[in-house]
Amino acid sequence: MLNVIDYVPGTTILHRLNPVTKLALAASIIIATILSDGYAALIALLLLTLLLGVYAGTATRLFSLLKVLVPIAVLMLVLQLAFVRHGDPVILFATTDGLVSGTKACLRLLGVALPLVLVLTVTKTTDLANACVEKLHIPYKYAFTFTTALRFVPVFTQEMNAIMEAQTARGVEFDSKNPFRKLSLMLPVCIPLLVTSVGKTDATALAAEQRGFYLRTRASSYRRYPFALRDAVCGALCVALIVAGIVL
Amino acid sequence: MQPIIEMRDVSFAYGHDAQNALSNITLSIPAGSFTGIIGPSGAGKSTLAAVLSGAIPHHFTGSLYGETIVDGTDTCDMTLTDISRIVGSVNQDIDAQMVASVVEDELLFGLENFGVAHERIEATIAAALDAVGIADLRDREIATLSGGQKQKVAIAAILALAPGVLVLDEPTAALDPVSSRMVFDVLRDLNEHEGITVVVIEQKVALLSEFCNRLVVMNEGSIALEGTPHEVFGHATELRAIGVDSPRVARISNSLTAKGLCTAQEPCLSVEEAAELITSIVTGATPSKPVTSPEPRTARPHAKDAQPVVRFHGVCFSYPDGGASVNNLEMTVYPGELVGIVGQNGAGKTTATKLLNGLLKPSSGSVTVAGLDTRDVPVSQIARHTATLFQNPDHQLCKNTVLEEVAFGLELAGVPRGEAQQRAARVIDRFGLPANEAPFALSRGQRQMIALASVVVLEPEVVILDEPTSGLDYRECMTVMETVREMAEQGSAVIMVCHDMEVVSDFAERLVVMADGCILASGPTTEVFNDAALMKRARVKPPQVVELAAQLARDVSDAYAGITEVSGIVDATARLARADVREGSHA
Repeated sequence: MLNVIDYVPGTTILHRLNPVTKLALAASIIIATILSDGYAALIALLLLTLLLGVYAGTATRLFSLLKVLVPIAVLMLVLQLAFVRHGDPVILFATTDGLVSGTKACLRLLGVALPLVLVLTVTKTTDLANACVEKLHIPYKYAFTFTTALRFVPVFTQEMNAIMEAQTARGVEFDSKNPFRKLSLMLPVCIPLLVTSVGKTDATALAAEQRGFYLRTRASSYRRYPFALRDAVCGALCVALIVAGIVL
Repeated sequence: MQPIIEMRDVSFAYGHDAQNALSNITLSIPAGSFTGIIGPSGAGKSTLAAVLSGAIPHHFTGSLYGETIVDGTDTCDMTLTDISRIVGSVNQDIDAQMVASVVEDELLFGLENFGVAHERIEATIAAALDAVGIADLRDREIATLSGGQKQKVAIAAILALAPGVLVLDEPTAALDPVSSRMVFDVLRDLNEHEGITVVVIEQKVALLSEFCNRLVVMNEGSIALEGTPHEVFGHATELRAIGVDSPRVARISNSLTAKGLCTAQEPCLSVEEAAELITSIVTGATPSKPVTSPEPRTARPHAKDAQPVVRFHGVCFSYPDGGASVNNLEMTVYPGELVGIVGQNGAGKTTATKLLNGLLKPSSGSVTVAGLDTRDVPVSQIARHTATLFQNPDHQLCKNTVLEEVAFGLELAGVPRGEAQQRAARVIDRFGLPANEAPFALSRGQRQMIALASVVVLEPEVVILDEPTSGLDYRECMTVMETVREMAEQGSAVIMVCHDMEVVSDFAERLVVMADGCILASGPTTEVFNDAALMKRARVKPPQVVELAAQLARDVSDAYAGITEVSGIVDATARLARADVREGSHA
């Protein structure tokens, strides 16, 4: 099973940018999204992220992520409508101000979540970690923690699926239609997952140490991540985005 | 030969355990040797590997006595990093061993850390990948590889660091026979051509006896036997007492010696050796009198008019994102039958079992279990009629005590709590399990027994076993299989997916052979195993005894045709030898 955040191979400019530049791009889209206050700007930033996804060939991932995010965004809209009490009433408990701040909150949620996922789908995690160590002087320990955490996501998903299947085959009603019942059934299953994951992390730590983890320095990486012209251009774009975010 | 690792009087106990996991081990690993370590579970094999690789004392804590000398230095005086420059280790859990998501990065990790000069890195990676034969996998995502391929990546990653010794802890536990053999071929190649000392912990005796030049048998934390495979397997009685299996051909030659049919000698370890021995016993000349072949093992009679309890009719299924799909499966299983499904990894065996317990629904065709169409009823309903024993018991354990765990399945099926606990207690008692302990505090073998107990207690109409014996030692394996056989005798239909062909040939009376998602054939075990063309097409290696019988039937006498058991070969040889003697005395 493929994961939403798995790397999608490609040779687009987005793929070839320096991993640090990609992070900067995602960060500036996020900052611009938070700073800007107009519908046009929020929608434009969201569209920009999606268009970049289409360009890099990872749009399907973004859309499958949207499927999960949209219900959350709608929930947020409802909460905003319920809590924002000033402005003219529209229908039921909704007010004009509530609608405005609610829809903006929705757009911001989507605008903040998608760029980082976009970066992860066009960058190998090892490249990202190595580049951050080289350019941003982040200690390798933290970079390794980050890559390992990402790598464990599919491993644990698989483990969780195997456990759920085993429990279903025993007669636990995971196939129940009631989501709350399902959730309450899932809790006890977390015990085996926890036991295996503690064991796995310990084994990984041992394996990494046996391959010289403690000897690693900033200069260890075989690959180098120099900045190119396209990175400079992209950097300028980032600044422009943030400025636009402040103005609009 | 100069020892590269030497253990002198080493004892170790984990944490605050009073009991020693290892006691007074003195062992030397000669440079350039290929050493196999075998023993029942809980014998301290993995602990021994941890001592050899320096993980004890540097990673696991406990009390350690004695000294372990690696290449002239005590492991206590070196850092784990320095030890791993000499001793490379491959652990049991391959997934946990990986540090990167792409094969190339996995190899790079160690090279970068140990500061290998950057201009040499490219050549080193290429050489390491070549040495294990996976040069074509270099740019693949590790998550998309098969178990055997992952194991080779793990070995290549260690190999790139050019260690003098490789220590592997059950490298083939999760692999099918063909991939297991490939991993051992790689190890032998490294041992012979690169001069790397290999130490491997393994349960598969046939592999060990063929590839190793030294064997160490462990029992209860000490070394029970040590020597060449021939020497070690000569002690069949001691091995059985410890709970270690012998290769089937060794059992044959030992029985022949015991019957006085040949002089005492080293046991046979390969089909060729056994064939040679038996040919010489039967004195080359074929007796003129035809010798009656032994009665074929009769299948357990199931009621003639019984309704089949499982029926696959034209079943197709494919996963949305690829993976082992199945096509047009036709299969019927009657109550009381013990059916084995065999085939290579990826042949669709596990998919078939998931279709059976309802976890997957057929995209066309129908699966009927105990009169229920799996497409019409939820899995939890089907679970009242079927019970599945999974490969990894840890996926099905979720309760705080063994008693609750075993009773859980009954409670789910709607049995009142009191009665469920009573029934569970009876089964737990029969298995000799500790009822009030937490399942996760017990050993792997015991956890598998708990999982088995929670299947037995349900008294299901259909039992599905997915690799029931992997990770178990010989004695546990036999207990599991005997229990399963009893369940079949009491009327359950048992369907078993299993890589261990010896187990399949001993217990299954009917086989279904799968390859590439299709059922190639189905029939009595003996018949299927003797169909050499079919076995080849399914890429299944028949058990040693079947291979031996086929060879003897071709070269020596028809009397051997179709034999699948050790005793069958021995009896046939005895009959033939006596026929010769009689003829000789008449002449």
